[in-house]
Amino acid sequence: MAMNTNESGNHDEALHKLLKEWRADAPLPAHFQAAVWRRIEQPHAPASPSFWDVVTNWIGTVAPRPAFAAAYIALFLTAGVAAGLTQARQETVRVKGELGDRYIRVLDPYQAPR
Amino acid sequence: MKKGILILVLGLVLAAAGYGCVYFVCTSSARHLQCGSQPELAWLKDEFKLSDAEFKRISQLHAAYLPQCAEMCRQIEAQNQRLRMLLAATNQMTAGIDSAIAESARLRGECQRNMLSHFYEVSRTMPPEQGRRYLAWVRERTFASGAGMMRDNEKHHENDK
Repeated sequence: MAMNTNESGNHDEALHKLLKEWRADAPLPAHFQAAVWRRIEQPHAPASPSFWDVVTNWIGTVAPRPAFAAAYIALFLTAGVAAGLTQARQETVRVKGELGDRYIRVLDPYQAPR
Repeated sequence: MKKGILILVLGLVLAAAGYGCVYFVCTSSARHLQCGSQPELAWLKDEFKLSDAEFKRISQLHAAYLPQCAEMCRQIEAQNQRLRMLLAATNQMTAGIDSAIAESARLRGECQRNMLSHFYEVSRTMPPEQGRRYLAWVRERTFASGAGMMRDNEKHHENDK
């Protein structure tokens, strides 16, 4: 064990010596340092959430709020009632118009269906 | 999450229920009018706010007028048929065509007189204000507007433009 420690210390010393002697002559590429820092920082940047994550998060957090729930239900109920009223009014006008036409067709031979 | 979905679904269900209930209630009068044996008379009662007594009297007038109207329809159809045959048989004006056209005009005049008499009688059975409204309405639909042969002529002239 002691011998192993000695051997590894010798290797470290040799490696240090070798590294001190080593000189890199090749030029670094442009913006090398900035690129290195960018690579280092990249894994730590938070990933942007997907659309589905946003929707599920919204359903889980915003929709159950009482104020939102009350407003949402009131809005949809009002929209349903308004659509029903509008459609019913149109249908009533259509039916009454048809019956008026029918009354005239019954009485006017020149407008009777041939 | 479950609570949120439940609220969203509840909103949609309430919207559909609100739509259905309001539509059903608000169209019930129109549906009711269509259910009877003579929906056009039920419509007349509803449109001109007739009392039961007025409606009964108008129904009697209506029933009395219908056979006259059916007879006029029969005569008009027979006359039209005769005129079509005369027109198909020649390529010039003949005395037969001339008299057939005159007969068609006479029938039309008689039909209009009968119809107008019926309309006046019906209008007199209604409350005065409703009677005036009724007369204006039938006049618009029968005499003032392009109805029957007049309507056909208008269509013909539209094609010329």
